[in-house]
Amino acid sequence: MQLALQGANQLLTRLAQAILITFLAVAGMLSPSEGSQPLHVGMELSYPPFEMTDTGGKPTGVSVRLAEALGEYLGREVVIENIAFDGLIPALRTGTIDCIISSMTATAERARSIAFSEPYLTTGLTLLVGKDSPIKSADDLDQPGIRVAVKIGTTAHKFAARDLKRAQVFVLNRESAAVLEVIQGKVDAFIYDSLSIYRHHRRHPDTTRAFLKPIREETWAIGLRKGDEELRQQINGFLKQFRADGGFEKLGNEFLPEAKAFFTKNNIPFYF
Amino acid sequence: MQQMSRTLAHTIVALAFMALLTLACLQVPGEWNWSGVWEYRQKFLQGWLVTLGLSLAALVLSVLIGLVVALLLAARNPLVEAVGRIYVELIRGTPLLVQLLLGFYVIANAVGLENRFVVGTLVLAAFSGAYMAEIFRGGLDAIPKTQRDSARAIGLTRWQSFRLVILPQAIRLVLPAVAGQLVSLIKDSSLLSVIAISELTLNAQEVNSFTYSTLESYLPLAVGYLLLTLPLSAASRRLEMAFRYER
Repeated sequence: MQLALQGANQLLTRLAQAILITFLAVAGMLSPSEGSQPLHVGMELSYPPFEMTDTGGKPTGVSVRLAEALGEYLGREVVIENIAFDGLIPALRTGTIDCIISSMTATAERARSIAFSEPYLTTGLTLLVGKDSPIKSADDLDQPGIRVAVKIGTTAHKFAARDLKRAQVFVLNRESAAVLEVIQGKVDAFIYDSLSIYRHHRRHPDTTRAFLKPIREETWAIGLRKGDEELRQQINGFLKQFRADGGFEKLGNEFLPEAKAFFTKNNIPFYF
Repeated sequence: MQQMSRTLAHTIVALAFMALLTLACLQVPGEWNWSGVWEYRQKFLQGWLVTLGLSLAALVLSVLIGLVVALLLAARNPLVEAVGRIYVELIRGTPLLVQLLLGFYVIANAVGLENRFVVGTLVLAAFSGAYMAEIFRGGLDAIPKTQRDSARAIGLTRWQSFRLVILPQAIRLVLPAVAGQLVSLIKDSSLLSVIAISELTLNAQEVNSFTYSTLESYLPLAVGYLLLTLPLSAASRRLEMAFRYER
């Protein structure tokens, strides 16, 4: 009995030693410096041509390229996390992602919860209007009997909730559904950013009209956790360099050549 | 332990679950911001009322649809039975989301039905009705043929034997499943947000997107649904007691 206990004791000690050594070895491998940890970038991959997937399901688009260039600049691996737009800020705050590059507008309200980098793009809120709708200009928007669609969590949603007192607002969680509603005449207008409205109108020229003069101008920036000052400085540095190297020019020409030409010609604010 | 009253036991376990949930919530970093959500309490109330109305309407409709389709399924005419069977298989075999999108943007559009609430309620009722039909059919099938034969043998007409012998037994059998399906229906109504019906879940999501207080928006959401489903469960249990013949 004594011998058995002694044997068991030895075994346990050996086992404990083995576990401890393994733990230390693994911990040694897993505690790298901050710099070589992967950068988790959050975006909603349903917003072509900024955030989308290619036919193979791989993330691609302007924001994805921007994220990859950022990763190169920082010397960190980039992991793209596909998260619904209105879930991006909660994900950032709980640490699931490290930054948001999802064509997100920098607003004062959002700035209460998160920090933003310097803006990298200027755009505006515009309207996609059904061809039979009584709306003739942006002033016709806030009238009783007018039905407006917005996507949940966007600045258009906020604008509609705060500033449209007489029109009826329908909140959808899919951009595609909102466009369908305009085409089918179920709503009179869809408020969204100028570039997407332009593209939707191009795809449905017979059933929609586009009012591309912005009812409100906005800027897009990269979202960060409050207090993550080091990353913010790094990202601002990256944006400055990327712009100086003509990176944004290249992105514009690769993904948005037609839109860029159209917008510049018609003096509509859209520039990187 | 056996002497503990059922109410006391339920209360203790419910409190234990809530304590665990609170512990989990306390692990979330950052402060809690209830003021934002309190500011939007009107939205929660409105959404809850819409969910209540939708669920009630769909509930009643789905029971009716279920009864009708169950009768179709029990018919002897093969064509009639086929209508019921295809309906059930199609509806049960496709996601509610798909049915809502197709129903509102394709079918209702083709038919000219514009009202979202009507279309949403109909789709929800049709969806739940298919499950109800199978539940009713299963209940009816479970009654042994001898019951029917004995009832006829003592001189009851077909309708009398159904009403006095088969039906009470069938109701007892299907009640738990029906209650479960109705509770499911109340929760499935949250999917109607995809066609922009301003029910409770969409309203909670909107509050979340305005205030960035995710937990503070979704906890009242859970409570809101419990306020609808718990009374239904309680009523169902009371009915089960009432129909019991062995006490």
